[in-house]
Amino acid sequence: MRWLVCAVIVLLPVALSAQHVSIGPQVAFGDYREVSSDLHYRGAGAGVKATLTWKKFSADVDLSKVKYKPQTSAATADFDASEVDVRLRYYVTGPVSAELGFINRKMKPEFEAQSVGAVTLGARMAYVLGPGVRMSLNGGLLFGSKFSGGGTTSALGALQLGLGITVDALHGRVLVTGDYGFQRFSRKTDDGSGALPAPIQQSLGRVGFAIAF
Amino acid sequence: MRRSTWLLALPLLCAAPALAAQTVQNATLRRAQQAFDNLDYRQALTTAHASLRERLTGFERARAYELLGFTYSGMDSILKAVDAFKQVVLIEPERDLDPNRTSPKALSAFQVALTQILVIRQLRVDSVNFIGGQGVVGIRYTVTQPSRVVTRISGGTLGSMRIDSTVANGQVNIRWPARMPNGDPVPAGNYNVVVDATVGQNTFSASQPIRITHGAVDTLPHLTSLPGYTYLPETEVPPKSWRPMGLALVYSGIALAGTSALSHGDLGSASMREGGVIGGGIVLAGFIMTLKKPAPQPARGNILYNSLLREQIARRNTEIAQENTRRRQQVALSVVPLPRAGGGR
Repeated sequence: MRWLVCAVIVLLPVALSAQHVSIGPQVAFGDYREVSSDLHYRGAGAGVKATLTWKKFSADVDLSKVKYKPQTSAATADFDASEVDVRLRYYVTGPVSAELGFINRKMKPEFEAQSVGAVTLGARMAYVLGPGVRMSLNGGLLFGSKFSGGGTTSALGALQLGLGITVDALHGRVLVTGDYGFQRFSRKTDDGSGALPAPIQQSLGRVGFAIAF
Repeated sequence: MRRSTWLLALPLLCAAPALAAQTVQNATLRRAQQAFDNLDYRQALTTAHASLRERLTGFERARAYELLGFTYSGMDSILKAVDAFKQVVLIEPERDLDPNRTSPKALSAFQVALTQILVIRQLRVDSVNFIGGQGVVGIRYTVTQPSRVVTRISGGTLGSMRIDSTVANGQVNIRWPARMPNGDPVPAGNYNVVVDATVGQNTFSASQPIRITHGAVDTLPHLTSLPGYTYLPETEVPPKSWRPMGLALVYSGIALAGTSALSHGDLGSASMREGGVIGGGIVLAGFIMTLKKPAPQPARGNILYNSLLREQIARRNTEIAQENTRRRQQVALSVVPLPRAGGGR
C-alpha cells in the first residue's frame, strides 16, 4: 500500500502535465421528491467538482452533500444526501460526446429517503458561447438502479438531464462553474399486493469555481 | 590655277595647322609642305623626295608619302599618286582620308592603293563583361584584299590559340566565346588578338592588345516576399451575431422544458429553481457574449493562401540557392582592349 501511495505521488504530476485538470468547491442546492408530492424536500450544501481532459477523453467527478429539509407537513425529518457522480466522456463529433458513468447517493439517516445507485449512459453536447465561455447540455438513461428500500425501474424509467456552464477567469487559471442536474426514477415497489409507483425525483444545482492546471 | 588644283590644295590648307601641330620636326619635310601650300608642286615633289632620303620618324615618313600622293594627284600622275598612297597605308594601315575635305582624285587614288596592297585595317575588340561560357567577345576588322585570314590570340600562359580562320575580303565580324579548347574560360592576363592575312607571298599582320580579368559572378539575394504578394492575416474577427444568445436560450430551454416534461406526475410540478438559476446564468453569459466583440477566428482561406505563398517563396529560394551555388563556380570575364603600340606590317 505504501508503494502504491508513493507511486501515485511520483507519477501523478507527470501524468497530469500532459492533461487539463481542474478542481474546485461548489455550493449545492436541491429539490428532492419521493413517492408523492407530499414528500417534498429542499436543501443546500457543498460539493467538489473535478474534471480531467486528455485527448478525446474527459472525466467529471462530482461530490456533493446536501442537507434536505421538509417542505410539506407529511415529511417530518431532515436528512443528508451524499452523492457521488462520476462520468467518463469520449468526444465523438462536432459538439457531441458520449458519456458513461455511475451515480451513488446515500441518505442519512438511512431510512428517511431512498439511497440509490445506477449506471449512467448518455450523450453530451457542448458549445463555446464565446472566448472562455462554454456551455453543455447532457442527457441519458440510468440503468441497473438499486434502491435501499427495494423497488425496480423499467428500462426507460430512469433518466437524467443536465445543463452546465464554465467561464474562464484569470487567463483560464480559474473557472467559474455552474451545473444543473435532474434525475427521475420511475420506481415501482411490490409488497405482494401488486406493483405500486414510488417515484424519486431530484433537481440539483451547483455553483462554484475551480482551479485549472 | 585650275579648279581641281584648288580642290586638291583645300584640304591641306585646312589641315595645315593640324599637321603643324603634329610632330613634324624634319625641316626638309616642312619646306615640302610649305611648297605644297604655296601650290609649288615641283618644289614640293623635289623637297619631299629629298626629305625621304633623310632620317624620318614613321609619322614623318607617312606624311612625306601622303604629301607626294596629294601632289601627284594634283599633277594628274595617278599611278605615282597610288604608289605614294600605298606607302602611306603600309606605314599607317589605319590612315583614312576625310572624303569631305579631300579631292576626288586623291580619294580615288587612295582607294586604288588600298586595293593593291594587303593590309588589315580597323581591328577592333569590343569591351565586354560576361559570365564565362555565356557570352562572346566581338572582334572586327577589314581586310583590303581577298585572302586567307587567321585570327588568333597569343600571350600569357596560353601561347597561341587560333580563334578563327577564313577567306575574306572587306569587313569581318568574329564572335569569340573566350574559352579554351577544353571549355574553360581563358585565364586572366594580357593578350594580343593577332590577325594574319595571307595571299600568295604577301602577308600582313595586325594585332590588338587586350586584358582579360576574372571576377566573381554576382549572386542573387534570397527572397523574403514575392513582389505584389503580401501575407494575409490568418485570423479574422467574425461579425457580431446573436448566435450565442440564441444557443444559450435553446440549451436552457431544452433543459427546463425537459425537466418539466420528464417530471413524474405523481410528484407535483417540477422545481424550476435549480434549472432556472443555472439556465439564467447561461442566458446571461450568452447575452454578454453576443454584445462582446467576437474572438478572432482562423481564416482558413488566408491560412491556405499564406501557406502557398510561403511554399512558393521557399521553392524560389531553393532555386536561388541552387543558382547561387552554380554561380559561385562560374567566372565573370572582363575583356578590355588596351592602347595599341603600333600598326601592322
